[in-house]
Amino acid sequence: MSQDKKGGIKRRDFLKIIGVAGGTAAVAGACSNPAEQIIPYVIPPEGIIPGVPNWYASTCRECPAGCGIIVKNREGRAIKVEGNPKSPINMGGSCAEGQAMLQGLYNPDRTRSPLVRNDLGRLEPRGWDDAQKILTEKIEEARKKGGSGRIVFLSDHNEGTLGNLIGDWMSALGGKHLTYEAYSYEPLKEANRIVFGIDKIPTYNIDKTKYLLSFGADFIETWLSPTLYTRQFSEMHGYKDKSMGKFVHVEPRAGLTGVNADEWVSIKPGTEAVLALGIASVIVNEGMSVNGGGGFEGLLGAYTPEKVSSVTDVPVDTIKEIAKEFSSMQPSLAIGGGIANTSTNATETLVAINILNYVAGNVGRTIDFGNSLTLSGVSTFKEITSLVDSMSNGEVDLLFIYNVNPVFTLPKSLGFEDALGKVPYVVSFSSFMDETTEKANLILPDNTTLESWGDFIPDGRVHGLIQPVMTPVFNTKSTGDVILAVTAGLEGLKGRYTQVSYYDYLRDSWKQVWTGVPGGGDFEAFWNSALENGGFYSDVTPVQVSASGNMSGISFGEPEFTGDGDFYFMAYPSYKYYDGRGANKPWLQELPDAITTGVWDSWVEIHPDTAKKLGVKLGDFVKLESPYGTIETQAYVYEGIRPDTVAVMIGQGHTSYGRYAKDRGVNPLSILPVSTDKITGSFAWLTTKVKASGTGRHSQFVQTQYTTTQHDRDVAQVVTLTELEHGLHHEEHEEPDFYPPVEYDRYHWGMSIDLQKCTGCGACITACYAENNIPFVGKELVAKRRDMAWLRIDRFFEKSDNKAGFETRFLPMLCQQCNNAPCEPVCPVFATYHNPEGLNGMIYNRCVGTRYCSNNCTYSVRKFNWFTYKLPDPLNWQFNPDVTVRDKGVMEKCTFCVQRIIYAKDQARDKGRDVLDGEFQVACQQSCASGAIEFGNLKDPESRVAKLSHDERGYRVLNQLNTKPNITYLKKVKWDKA
Amino acid sequence: MSEQNSLTYAKVNEDVIRMLDKPTVKWLALFLPVLGFVGFGLFCFLYQVYTGLGVAGYRHPVFWGVYITDFVFWVGIAHSGTLISAILYLFRASFRVSIYRIAEAMTVFAVLTAGLFPIIHLGRPWFFYWLFPYPNQRELWVNFKSPLLWDVFAVSTYLTVSSVFFFVGMIPDIAAIRDKVKEVPRKIAYTILSLGWKGSNWEWLHYSRAYLYFAAFATPLVLSVHSVVSWDFAMADLPGWHTTIFAPYFVAGAIFSGLGMVITLTIPIRKIFALEDYITLDNYDGMAKMIILTSLIVGYAYGTEFFMAWYSGSPAEWGQFYYRATGDYALFYWIMVVCNVLIPIPLWFKAVRRNIKALFIISIFINIGMWFERFNIIVISLSQGFEPGAWGIYKVSWVEMGITMGSFAWFFMFFLIFIKTLPAISISELKEILPVPKKEAKHHG
Repeated sequence: MSQDKKGGIKRRDFLKIIGVAGGTAAVAGACSNPAEQIIPYVIPPEGIIPGVPNWYASTCRECPAGCGIIVKNREGRAIKVEGNPKSPINMGGSCAEGQAMLQGLYNPDRTRSPLVRNDLGRLEPRGWDDAQKILTEKIEEARKKGGSGRIVFLSDHNEGTLGNLIGDWMSALGGKHLTYEAYSYEPLKEANRIVFGIDKIPTYNIDKTKYLLSFGADFIETWLSPTLYTRQFSEMHGYKDKSMGKFVHVEPRAGLTGVNADEWVSIKPGTEAVLALGIASVIVNEGMSVNGGGGFEGLLGAYTPEKVSSVTDVPVDTIKEIAKEFSSMQPSLAIGGGIANTSTNATETLVAINILNYVAGNVGRTIDFGNSLTLSGVSTFKEITSLVDSMSNGEVDLLFIYNVNPVFTLPKSLGFEDALGKVPYVVSFSSFMDETTEKANLILPDNTTLESWGDFIPDGRVHGLIQPVMTPVFNTKSTGDVILAVTAGLEGLKGRYTQVSYYDYLRDSWKQVWTGVPGGGDFEAFWNSALENGGFYSDVTPVQVSASGNMSGISFGEPEFTGDGDFYFMAYPSYKYYDGRGANKPWLQELPDAITTGVWDSWVEIHPDTAKKLGVKLGDFVKLESPYGTIETQAYVYEGIRPDTVAVMIGQGHTSYGRYAKDRGVNPLSILPVSTDKITGSFAWLTTKVKASGTGRHSQFVQTQYTTTQHDRDVAQVVTLTELEHGLHHEEHEEPDFYPPVEYDRYHWGMSIDLQKCTGCGACITACYAENNIPFVGKELVAKRRDMAWLRIDRFFEKSDNKAGFETRFLPMLCQQCNNAPCEPVCPVFATYHNPEGLNGMIYNRCVGTRYCSNNCTYSVRKFNWFTYKLPDPLNWQFNPDVTVRDKGVMEKCTFCVQRIIYAKDQARDKGRDVLDGEFQVACQQSCASGAIEFGNLKDPESRVAKLSHDERGYRVLNQLNTKPNITYLKKVKWDKA
Repeated sequence: MSEQNSLTYAKVNEDVIRMLDKPTVKWLALFLPVLGFVGFGLFCFLYQVYTGLGVAGYRHPVFWGVYITDFVFWVGIAHSGTLISAILYLFRASFRVSIYRIAEAMTVFAVLTAGLFPIIHLGRPWFFYWLFPYPNQRELWVNFKSPLLWDVFAVSTYLTVSSVFFFVGMIPDIAAIRDKVKEVPRKIAYTILSLGWKGSNWEWLHYSRAYLYFAAFATPLVLSVHSVVSWDFAMADLPGWHTTIFAPYFVAGAIFSGLGMVITLTIPIRKIFALEDYITLDNYDGMAKMIILTSLIVGYAYGTEFFMAWYSGSPAEWGQFYYRATGDYALFYWIMVVCNVLIPIPLWFKAVRRNIKALFIISIFINIGMWFERFNIIVISLSQGFEPGAWGIYKVSWVEMGITMGSFAWFFMFFLIFIKTLPAISISELKEILPVPKKEAKHHG
């Protein structure tokens, strides 16, 4: 080339020199780490500008709620999931499960290619063509046998194009499509049919209520649509304009939702119906009903507070008080149907709650039947049990499994696993080797949500669109594509689907959505806007309903319990693992449980009195015995549970499902009987009484917080409504200081955290892990308190004069970015320093690891890299390229997402202005569904955070030490008046 | 010095130089295991460097533990050496003469040991030199506000001054040995080390001046070094650390522990080398009296800490001290109180002060008690800071134990080499206090 002739240094020589120099450097630095190769794009792909992220809107499929998500893609890799602000469900918020989707995508234990069980019974990898050929043969074989219903497709709740395709495909094959959800809420729809004649699960308007009464509906955790209801709850329960709503939670156990209540009312398991009727009875009898009783007077007459109290263990005064508040604080709302409280009279309970809502005039105001959940349409438990029967009887020849894990999520006593063994050929489309897929003969791994095209319709308003945010990580294929390809090879079905790919099929299906939209315009424009917005959102007109009043055949009797133990056994769904599907994501495993702060395991919650009686303490192994089996797990002694009840979380106890889930904790489903709700026949979870006994074994209970109270340190502060009414003495005098205050030029970053809004759900923690490349360390290291979380949520149980006798306070604790930071002067090498924008900078490269900064940190928020934490491929693909991956021996801590600040400043500079308030969000703030966290520029007096920093509820944690933090906490507000 | 009446100049020379004879089997039996422990300590350290500091027992929020305890412990041990050699020299306390050399050696070796720990405890020990203010292309500098940097200077100054003082004090003695030894290599070595000392009047004149100045120079270091070490803690905000009494409290503690160590070391040496004539019961009596004094100061400090914690009205302060006495580490707290306050009480009786066995046992307990004092201050304070949500409990690991044992072995290794190569008792100073020989000597010598 021309350069060669000119002399000088040739490109090739240059590379050689660089190579030698690099090699020398590598040898010289051999005692530290090998130099890493940075490989540039030779031919940059279209549309990718290195350093500039692309965002793709999609829909979360981690649970049936169907939240909108936007996914950040950097240089071809998805690195962060955030809630889609445009989705009317979550409006930008997300839960920890949603944040952890990426660890499903990059899970090292994903099935990496099609697998076929060979003659030896082993699964061996095959190519897609082979695998599809085998599938075609098996389908033809099954079809030849004739008879309908011998081919069954068992999928998750999949309302939308794929659900329709599967349904259509099954009808073409003469098969059957069942949609199975472990948490199907059948009693909810049945109760609505009985009282209102509508066989649907409605949406509730918690945000519009002043008084929320929950009968075990864990709406912050798993109930129906937790992110939606967390957001609404914060609207309702947040302190605004001198007032706030009141929330009363009735449940035998105070879970995450229960501890967020102003009052937790402990009730005898299964007797909620009686309490609801009792409250309604007081309302009607005392003339507080808006519709004079609505025809239920006769029914309610028998439920006097005294009688109700004796059945439910709820004091008479409490019943009357709730009745008074429920009818006076309008609009109010009663909800129920939490999975953990589903007893044999679950439908009756919900009927009673409906009656209560009806007499208080809430139906149509705070309950919206217009916008019902598509979850109403999933297969019933009866259909699932009859499937198990036909499988056992050899009536099923070919079973398809898609995104469900019934071996794990159905009670062992139902015998699904054995029935599965009787099915000649099982095909699984699962991306993961779970307990069910493990038994399959053919595995055709689907792409995960983040790699595929699709859609999902969670409710009447939302047509969520799913688009791939990156190319598939492994040799997987969308199930829609597999169905289309296989059908083309089936006898007589060649022309059934004209589309070549599932993408085309999806677009064609969306054309129907488009034609339904008035003034939809051009389809391409509609399609592109749906892609941009994460779907198509419409309004639904509310449906007015009236109660039928015909309650014949409903007895409101006592719930039935099997087993002769002393303790009611609650298996409660986990807000981290849902029905167990989250358990293979290490971020979720390492996210401390809000109540126990336990990680990576199961435990049984036991009341202190019971623990004393059994002679067990924290960390002792307890044996729980039902007629159906035995589990042993560690005790967590907790006053938020009734003395006659013990509770174990659902979701752990996997025997398969990858390295992070396998052999961890216990599965409470293994000791549950197949008891059903009397009316609907749906699975009833709370129907067992177990024997509990200490085993004498003990090991450390691995948790992230050892204290349960604040020890009078008053770090998580509360204020009562009365105090706020009288006006707080908000002291804002400058503390005397030896040094002049630090002056900031344009930016002074600050944060505010509203403790009244914080529910303790921990989505922010997982978001922080994802954004800042924080390694998970595993149970053994958490046991040594080596967890690396930059943001933790301290939870304190404080003595209280409320009905429960204690109140729970959550305190998100992260680097306070003190203006007078104790960490800064003690660092001998200036590795931590004060930056001109009010941040405590942390320079990893300069840190030698004296750890003095952490010792001197008032808030103990610094974390140290005790080891170099390596993530298995391809989990490390998730790393945020804007954030350094830390090596052993250096300190780290919250940076206020400095990379986002820098990016926002760059963008603003290009536009020739300063960063605007709300222009960007830090990761924790972005994830918070309840909007508890605000972030911004304290220099700008108009910014939200600057205003909140002067809020009357504002305080700074441990302010007396003069650290001058940049985080303002807003005190939690306590109800102290009727 | 009535008991030393039997000594003569010649016998002193003979006895001291006799200690430098060829290593005996007994010496080797001590030295080889010591080397083994040093090796194991080194292995532990390398393992820690390779794997990461996680192999130590740290648990959030306790980010300092046994290593810093060891550091303070060894710096403390170092103190009585200078105290005995320099301060008591200035005060002309004659009981120091026979033990000061051993005490000085102890100082130097203890500082050598102590100086390792700040490096061992680093997350990235290979960058330890970043703590020194050296000019570099990256224009990086150190933070003079940090007490850790003060430590760097305090310890390095102390090491320099105590080594020089140690060496200067030995020059006339080395010359005496040089004159006695016959083997060529040793002769050469001692010749070089003696810096051509001839013992002339002129030399003695300058030498004694210089020695006085060094003594005067070293004296403030006794107070300053441990004060600086105490500021590592006192300058922090942490309840249990942030207190003004730390400097005098630490200095007293250092002298207390140092005297304990001197007694622990000299008693076996005295026995093995039959030095009863040199290290006398009077010497021990004097040291025991100082132990009583420093034990009282330390005990008073323990009480004051509690009083101030209560008087401050701060829940964090009071919580911390309540926790020390009753919490997870209460056993260690009470070991400290018993060893440092109660066990020295019998020393009020003269009979105990002059009972070698009793002294030895008490001195061992003082060493243990003072180690735990530092452990308690560091670990218990860190375990329960201001923010209760972060509280945690520290558990020591085998690596830390290995390195701690290694550090003791490292110290004794130097000490064993020292007593076989250098005069463990000052020949020249001892002669100064002996009665001047009469012209008509009664017995040959």
